[in-house]
Amino acid sequence: MEFEIGNVAFCACAIAGWLDILMVLVLCVVLVMGYPVAFSLAGTALLFAVLGLTFGVFDISYLIPFPQRVFGAVSNTTLIAVPMFILMGVILEKSKIAEELLDEMAKLFGSLPGGLGLSVTIVGMLLAASTGIVGATVVTMGLLSLPTMLRRGYDPAFASGSIAAAGTLGQIIPPSIVLILLGDVISNAYQRAQLQQGIMSPDTVSVGHLFAGALLPGLMLVGFYICWQLFVALTSPKKAPAIPAAELGSRKEVWAAAMKTLPPPLILIIAVLGSILAGVATPTEAASVGAIGALLIAGMRLAPKGSLLAGRFAVLVSAIAIIGLLILTSALDLRLGRDSISVMETAGIAIAFLLFALTPWGVVASLFQLHREKAMAPIFDQTARVTTMVFTILIGAALFSLVFRGLGGDDTVHRALAATPGGVVGAVLTVMIVMFILGFFLDFIEITLVVVPLVGPPLLAMGLDPVWLGVMMAINLQTSFLTPPFGFALFYLRGVASPEVKTADIYRGAIPYIGVQLLALGVLALWPQIATWLPGVLYD
Amino acid sequence: MLDLAGDILNWAAAGVFFPLLFLPLGLLISDKRPSLFWAAFTALIVCAGLLFVRLTPVLALTPSPAKMMWFAGLFAGTVTATAVIGLKKTSWYLSGAFEVIAKSIGRGVMWLLLAMAVIQFGVVILRYVFGLNYIFMQESITYMHGAVFLLAGGYALLTDDHVRVDIFYREATPKRKALVDLLGTYLLLTPVCLLLIWTASPYVARSWAVGEGSNESSGIQALFIIKSFIPAFAVLMMMAGFVIAARAVATLKERG
Repeated sequence: MEFEIGNVAFCACAIAGWLDILMVLVLCVVLVMGYPVAFSLAGTALLFAVLGLTFGVFDISYLIPFPQRVFGAVSNTTLIAVPMFILMGVILEKSKIAEELLDEMAKLFGSLPGGLGLSVTIVGMLLAASTGIVGATVVTMGLLSLPTMLRRGYDPAFASGSIAAAGTLGQIIPPSIVLILLGDVISNAYQRAQLQQGIMSPDTVSVGHLFAGALLPGLMLVGFYICWQLFVALTSPKKAPAIPAAELGSRKEVWAAAMKTLPPPLILIIAVLGSILAGVATPTEAASVGAIGALLIAGMRLAPKGSLLAGRFAVLVSAIAIIGLLILTSALDLRLGRDSISVMETAGIAIAFLLFALTPWGVVASLFQLHREKAMAPIFDQTARVTTMVFTILIGAALFSLVFRGLGGDDTVHRALAATPGGVVGAVLTVMIVMFILGFFLDFIEITLVVVPLVGPPLLAMGLDPVWLGVMMAINLQTSFLTPPFGFALFYLRGVASPEVKTADIYRGAIPYIGVQLLALGVLALWPQIATWLPGVLYD
Repeated sequence: MLDLAGDILNWAAAGVFFPLLFLPLGLLISDKRPSLFWAAFTALIVCAGLLFVRLTPVLALTPSPAKMMWFAGLFAGTVTATAVIGLKKTSWYLSGAFEVIAKSIGRGVMWLLLAMAVIQFGVVILRYVFGLNYIFMQESITYMHGAVFLLAGGYALLTDDHVRVDIFYREATPKRKALVDLLGTYLLLTPVCLLLIWTASPYVARSWAVGEGSNESSGIQALFIIKSFIPAFAVLMMMAGFVIAARAVATLKERG
């Protein structure tokens, strides 16, 4: 009898030491069941906290900071950029600006070999730069472009692969929501890594650094996609036939239409991204400008001709007023509350006040137009739902990492990475492979919030560049979204593609793009400067 | 005054709200179900009891007799009332009420997003053009941000917007989906929300007690309100979870 009790106790102790690893394994099982991820994370963590308490290997004090962590998500001003960017993207989507862009681009490029594929890639890039919501982009393009491409005799595999790949660009091209979250997590990990090494005044990385770092690799990917599409179109024209130019209307008309629809979103994207990269505005500030700008563009598009008070005229006045403010500010010092203000500046301030007073007009007019089109409530409804989804995962991940840490998971990860053969290269490779596999069934957001805080500090302590590491992770996860059979982008596309497109076609079409992604990862690994050069120039 | 309010909240939560949350589960079991359900249910209760005994010294729980009496009274009252009205009817009423509460709060706070964008835009212009800084404006955005994502959580659960790993879930039959939702609600969502309430209540109570405000003198002096949204998030989530569970039970009880 004694012996048996000893055995049981021994067994329990053996399990107790492995609780952190067991927790991860159980999490995988729970996740696959299909309950919302945020609560799968938190619920599994709580279960193992209770088990740990029972075996006496977990200290209850690890649970106490849970509400502080939640409050941290409220008070972190960088994260406020997330709802703003979601709002901007949803406005552009619901007001059908994305559709219009796609249409114009198809006309512009259609007469080239593989032209529709190129137009999908370029619109994917533009949408990525404005929203960064993968699902929305893939669904929009899958609904609009796929039928056109098939009708024009494009190979189903080539068409669907192009759309899925272009849709995932939203992850990597700034400003993307995941890059904001990743930037926040990486900057914390970087500080921890440096503090552990005894550096008391650590260097910092910001979301801006990561945006700057991801810009060139993102554009490089777009370039690679275009090269591949041209290659296919030129070597096997049957797969991507050019549309006879005569069918698309006269070149002049096409260019005129494109010149009307293209500039506003383009200016908005350049303004938002430019102000963040130039370090003028924080991501949150730039995002609010983006949201208001998107609102004005939507108002402009939706307003019928004629209505003076709440129509295009009002929107135009507001837009001009904002641009006027910008010019005035760069020309004169308009700051109030200084000791001496010249006559010229006083006049400038007066005009600026007038212009500032004019801006609400267009905003209200745009809102009225959205309301008239019954798009107003859906926009804020969807934004609120996506926002709360993202932040609920953040809450779940917070509890998970607290418990994992409490069970000694940090040490386990450290030891595992230190024991990986091949030093830094081996450790990075291992982490990349693990993240790639996780990317099959977890969203970018979950991986960023759960895995990166764990592996980040030890990897960065090995002397890796945080921006480079973040961009590598971003491209890696983007690839896993394209990988059959579980890739997210493929799922979304399957959901909206017509039945004549076989699932096998979608898988087949994605494979060359996975090759392109891996090539990009290789290039970035060999020449890290592609990621680190721009932040270095902008911020040092 | 504040102490009394806190106590009343605690009793109401522990004695009325929490027991009622498990009504859908009771409804499922009270039906003529195979004894397997009863066995599992009993096992769960025994496990919970054993854990409680094991963890009481670890957690240093020492409920005072007076509070236990209040709790017992409210609990007994709730159970009696439920029994009189009928399990099914109570569940139906509550499910309707909770759905309305979670939905209307969610659809109410969504308009704060508009205010956030407009005010942040105003802050940008005032700062970069006129060099003016108003801390209360910047802080109001933080407040609204917190309100949106904490108070719309339950609504998003009802509209099924919280992402799932749906490799298997997507293809599953309605009954299997209902089972996942039911189990998830009671094994994952509810315990986590209880933990959040349990850890947040001293945190929030401290904030109320000192009337915690902003670190800046010209900021908004109502940090305790935003902190109260944290337990509110948990309560709204549990309400939405109740609705989901009630729906799942209805699906599971269908014939065929």
